[in-house]
Amino acid sequence: MAMQSPTQLMARMISRSVFHSVSMAALSAALLLGAAGNSNLLAADGETSAKAVVYESAAKAIIESNCARCHNAKTREAGLDLSTPQSILQGSDSGRIVQAGQPEESLLFEMLESEEMPPDEEDRLSKDQLESIRQWLAAGAKFRHAVKSGPELTQHDIIPLLHLRCVACHGGRRRESGLDLRTKQAMLKGGKSGPAVVPGKPLESLVIRRVESGEMPPRRKLVSVSVKPMQTNELEKLSRWIELGLPEVTAEANASQPNTLVTEQDRNFWAFQPPKRPPVPQVNAQNRVRNPIDAFVLRKLESNGLSLSPDAAKATLLRRVYFDLTGLPPTPEEIAAYLNDPDPLAYEKLVDRLLESRRYGERWARHWLDVAGYADSEGAQNEDRLRPHMYRYRDYVIRAFNADKPYSRFLLEQLAGDELTDYERTNAEHANATDQQRYDNLVATGFLRTAPDRTFANITNFVPDRLAVIADEMDILGTAVMGLTLKCARCHSHKFDPIPQRDYYRLTAIFKDAYDEHDWLKSQGPRTLPNVMPNERHAFESHEKQITAQLETIKISLRQKTAAAKKEQIEKVLASLEDDVRERVKAALKTPKTARTEQQNKLLAEHAQTLMLDAEELKKLNPKFRGECEQLEQQIKNCASQHMPEPRIRALWSRGEPSPSYVLKRGNYLTPGRPVAPGVPAVLTDGKTPFVVRRPGKNAKSTGRRLAFARWLTQPEHPLTARVMVNRIWQHHFGDGIVSTTGNFGKAGARPTHPELLDWLATEFVRSAWSVKAMHRLILTSSTYRQSSQVPDQAMRLDAEGSLLSHMRLKRMDAEVLRDTLLYVAGRLDETPYGPADAVDVRADGLVTSKPTPKGWRRSIYVLQRRTQIPTLLENYDYPQMGPNCIQRGESLVAPQALHLMNNKMVYQLAEQFANRIRAEAGDARPAQVESIYLRAMGRRPTSEESAAAVAALQQLTARWLEKNVGANNETLAAQQALTTYCHAVMNLAEFLYLD
Amino acid sequence: MNPTEANNLIARRSFFQHVGAGMHGAALTWLLGRDLYAAGKTPLGAAPRKPALEPRAKSVIHLFMNGGPSQMDLFDPKPMLDKHHGQEHFDEIAGEVEFPESAGALMRSPFKFAQHGGCGMWVSEALPHLARQVDKIALIRSMHTTNLTHEPALYKIQSGSEFIGHPSLGAWVSFGLGSENQNLPAYVVLEDPLGLPVNGIDNWQSGFLPAVHQGTRFRATGSPVLNLKPDYDQPDSVSQFERDLITRLDRVHAKRRAHRPQLDARISTYALAARMQMEASDALDLSQETIATQRMYGIDKKETESYGRRCLIARRLVERGVRLVQLFINSQIWDNHSAIATSLKGACQRTDQPIAALLQDLQQRGLLDETLVVWGGEMGRLPIAQLPADKDERKAGRDHNKNAMVSWLAGGGIKGGTTLGQTDELGFAAVEDRVSIPDWHATLLHLLGLHHEELFLERNGLNERLTGVVEPRIIREILA
Repeated sequence: MAMQSPTQLMARMISRSVFHSVSMAALSAALLLGAAGNSNLLAADGETSAKAVVYESAAKAIIESNCARCHNAKTREAGLDLSTPQSILQGSDSGRIVQAGQPEESLLFEMLESEEMPPDEEDRLSKDQLESIRQWLAAGAKFRHAVKSGPELTQHDIIPLLHLRCVACHGGRRRESGLDLRTKQAMLKGGKSGPAVVPGKPLESLVIRRVESGEMPPRRKLVSVSVKPMQTNELEKLSRWIELGLPEVTAEANASQPNTLVTEQDRNFWAFQPPKRPPVPQVNAQNRVRNPIDAFVLRKLESNGLSLSPDAAKATLLRRVYFDLTGLPPTPEEIAAYLNDPDPLAYEKLVDRLLESRRYGERWARHWLDVAGYADSEGAQNEDRLRPHMYRYRDYVIRAFNADKPYSRFLLEQLAGDELTDYERTNAEHANATDQQRYDNLVATGFLRTAPDRTFANITNFVPDRLAVIADEMDILGTAVMGLTLKCARCHSHKFDPIPQRDYYRLTAIFKDAYDEHDWLKSQGPRTLPNVMPNERHAFESHEKQITAQLETIKISLRQKTAAAKKEQIEKVLASLEDDVRERVKAALKTPKTARTEQQNKLLAEHAQTLMLDAEELKKLNPKFRGECEQLEQQIKNCASQHMPEPRIRALWSRGEPSPSYVLKRGNYLTPGRPVAPGVPAVLTDGKTPFVVRRPGKNAKSTGRRLAFARWLTQPEHPLTARVMVNRIWQHHFGDGIVSTTGNFGKAGARPTHPELLDWLATEFVRSAWSVKAMHRLILTSSTYRQSSQVPDQAMRLDAEGSLLSHMRLKRMDAEVLRDTLLYVAGRLDETPYGPADAVDVRADGLVTSKPTPKGWRRSIYVLQRRTQIPTLLENYDYPQMGPNCIQRGESLVAPQALHLMNNKMVYQLAEQFANRIRAEAGDARPAQVESIYLRAMGRRPTSEESAAAVAALQQLTARWLEKNVGANNETLAAQQALTTYCHAVMNLAEFLYLD
Repeated sequence: MNPTEANNLIARRSFFQHVGAGMHGAALTWLLGRDLYAAGKTPLGAAPRKPALEPRAKSVIHLFMNGGPSQMDLFDPKPMLDKHHGQEHFDEIAGEVEFPESAGALMRSPFKFAQHGGCGMWVSEALPHLARQVDKIALIRSMHTTNLTHEPALYKIQSGSEFIGHPSLGAWVSFGLGSENQNLPAYVVLEDPLGLPVNGIDNWQSGFLPAVHQGTRFRATGSPVLNLKPDYDQPDSVSQFERDLITRLDRVHAKRRAHRPQLDARISTYALAARMQMEASDALDLSQETIATQRMYGIDKKETESYGRRCLIARRLVERGVRLVQLFINSQIWDNHSAIATSLKGACQRTDQPIAALLQDLQQRGLLDETLVVWGGEMGRLPIAQLPADKDERKAGRDHNKNAMVSWLAGGGIKGGTTLGQTDELGFAAVEDRVSIPDWHATLLHLLGLHHEELFLERNGLNERLTGVVEPRIIREILA
């Protein structure tokens, strides 16, 4: 039989399947057509060139007039140069743009036809022009003169598809039948059945035969390894590559990419230039300048004919700074102490004291958890499985803020903690790291494990599912840390910012030793490591040992009791037997089972019902034994329930050499383009210094990619890192950032309102060793921060929004602050820190509340953040859906907020407890009660009018309650109820909720 | 306009200029009334807005059929399945089968099909009531989706994205059109008292749109909205005094803080909360309906009582100006993995009569012209059988399928009696006039007078849309 070409092979395959779905058949038919003209795409035949459709006659003029302005040798938009036949064949960032004979498969045609290109409407092709291009492609995409170009297919066309379809079982982790299909060398070497490929002979190649016969990938195993069968066009490609003799190109992924994609002009945009420290300006109102912040702010205000507002009243400022730093109000004692402190530096001392409070970390960690997209569950699936170990990351963030961990270090640990210290303790270089450091570094990587993730189930663990997780993590990294909307570049080069698609895939390559779509750790179990602190591990182990020992003791006791009961039973039975039978039975029982005679067995069988009883039957006959037994069984149950889950860390760590990275054309995993090496966005570099990756230590398993990235990110002159963070700190103190789009510093983002101030703060941040607390001190002690929130009439016309900072913004409490404050004023806040999250209750009607502890309720940051069960109060007040993270919270004003605070039972009960507390500390005198309520809830004393009005209101309320009360003591009761109602009203006031 | 009004307007405008850029003012625009087009900014709240295009429908009732109704057992007869019944087919579709271990051979439908109505639409015997209404509906047999697992497929049909965090269709509609009734939410979800659907409340999330656009859950019995009434004992006279006290103190607070419109708006939320309590209770009071109407919806029968009640409430809500009402059924009654002959029939029996009654009732009241009724689930099912562990074919069901699914639309702007699209001869994949989820979304928006490209929220430099980045096709074949 003659050799079959791959084309014939395809035809055979298609005819084989009777019920091949129509769409598949259509696809194959298209391929058949295409394959016919595919053998030589380079030059028109000399003799027929006059008639043949060639580039020069059919396309050149169109391309040159409509496309070459951006896609020429110099500009190379999207990596594409359309000026020469060679460069046309070389393609773009997305890879090949011309598929001979297949217009519909050619990116060039696709982009033109969909009118995505050219971007300007006036350049768009006419119908005739488009048809002309189509005909040229259909006729084989030929040029008048032969073009010398690389091979038609190379390993880069094949390796990604083998990864997609085969490597799950024939690769690095699993090597079924000894076969590894990751490289050409390994394919030639083959497995147990011999070489996988025979160069030049696709039909003799095992890999083709196995795939063609449908044997591979095995149909019944597809879902269990999350692989789909090879598509017909892929098989065709693989055959062709083998037929061509397995051509390889050696060009480095990196070197083949000239750096012309990003120009010096692109780098000139303000956010891509390193911050430069500006001089502090002189201003007219120099007496208001407490530190350089005020000079920058006043400069801008004065140029608009405005100035800073006067300082806010002492009590107002006190309430403001308490909430800003700790998320809780000052107590009456704290208010008195501050107001009576004669020290001119009383405020500065206060700021220092609040920064030292643990509550500071609990408040500010929340801001970071928002941008990191923290959640205690997977999301993505209905079950919304919990992430029981995630809380360690939350605790890490709280501790990091409280310890004022330098921000640069904070990032380093979160991005590459596993590479910073060697958590497996096999590397002598890191021997002096402390246990706490090892632990923190590993836990910190939880930052990269927050995205919603459905890959724990096989059916939602295919490559596109995995890529979605990676995309979310890149999105989080981009918006939280880099102030860039990187995700736009996943499918095409960024529309606004100079981020070519290539740079997106370079960045994903940095993370590939931990996030490899072809070598995936499912979410849930496999994402954890056992390397907790030695004391915790020790405590766990000794606890478990103790439980096991206790269990054993009880079980022994149970066995003894059972044996005794059995013996007692036997004796009882024996006693009831006639003498001779008794003796024979006794003898039979004494004889070991195996040595018993047939007669003896028969005898025992006769008495089995009374003699050979198991524990359950004994219980029925012997109530005393049953009592003892049940008691012991209960003890076993109790004891077993004390088993603890093994302490583990949800972490991200390097898993060794990853699969190669490719640009995915249009973000589609089925259309890999050019290979890329790890790298950082070119626009953030000088374009000359290469991105160098070193292994973090001798014999280190990890690649060092993330560590190199993290070090690059935290260099002092990085254009974005410091700016993005100081802007975020500013945002949470003033209600808006200097750049209001805090997650997007790119061209589509907002421009800074005070660019010089932003740069001064960014450089100051780096100078003060990336200390976040130093930034707080600076900002909080400025006159700008201390201003009143009254909007001056003059500012109403010129700065109503407050973006010039002519007054302080009025801020609404965040959801967590509201909940914590309600609990705190009622005296029901349990301030126990850290540890596993507190569970929530879901009522039948959907109301979600956190479960109380013995001491009350813990702060909201410690409540379970299961994506599908967010406590209703938090949700009503704009607790964000992490999709995948939250850069800026909304501030909605909706009726359910009022309904919740007015009608919810728990809020009412807290009002009762608030009232009890007020009575306990202020007695029954109404004016004293009112003063106490005002101090606790609003942080100030009532005016005399307010006090009088409150006393009158309490009187009215008492009268109304009295109408409903019958019985003894009703006046006392009504007075108490009135106080509860009043406290409830206060919890519903705007003054309670808003911070001046 | 008197000077005071003008001043107020200026104050409001500047506030909206501020909030228009971010999202926080959203709810305010809802609360503060109708003149909300602040300096050309997109209004973000729930005040009623005139759509850009001429709307064909004012409101939508979305009858969501959780689980993936089987197309070849309801609307898409497949004679070839009868012919090849029992033949092996697994290898041809292996990558598309969630549970290979239970995959059986090709399986014919246990239901008989017949043509109905003036249009001759094919409907299976499982839907006898709907069969009499086919001249009102346009059937799409060529829909397909992108994932064969419930959760991502649900997110996809509800929000256009396979992942959590994107606004649902209802949220976009509320965002685009606001509410006609300021005392009721624009987007109401009628959940099944028996429990939440898969993905729970995320089916009606507002994602990155303001929370005001999130679906509000109404329960068919008891207090319809969470926290609608006080959950503690306090005499009415006390509560009334308390409400007045809060308003009085809040007014003083606002007066001392000039130019802070959010404080006035917050005072209105408290008033709105009180009005909502009345209006929502009234909308849900079915005793205002005649016995005949109640019977038409099947409220008198055990199996149809629950769904009938929700269908009737849906009509009462669109009458009151609610923009989009979405009806859910507990769990996934259409997820017929086993015993399709009985389990699918059961699902039909719970819903068929109430749905047919809804169409009839809307028409009788002249509401059908302005109400779009939409029926469908998140995916379709496979032509092969899914067998239980004992391989008993009498218990066979069908597994998930993303390549073909059905949906129908009726009412405002719809050409009744239309059947669009074809699947292949076995019903595995849509092959002719294929309709993607974004196409379907774009068509719904179009019928409401919204253009999918114009309805967007700028977020991190990207114009986020319901229909995503690929240009969808409006399904003109089904439009009147």
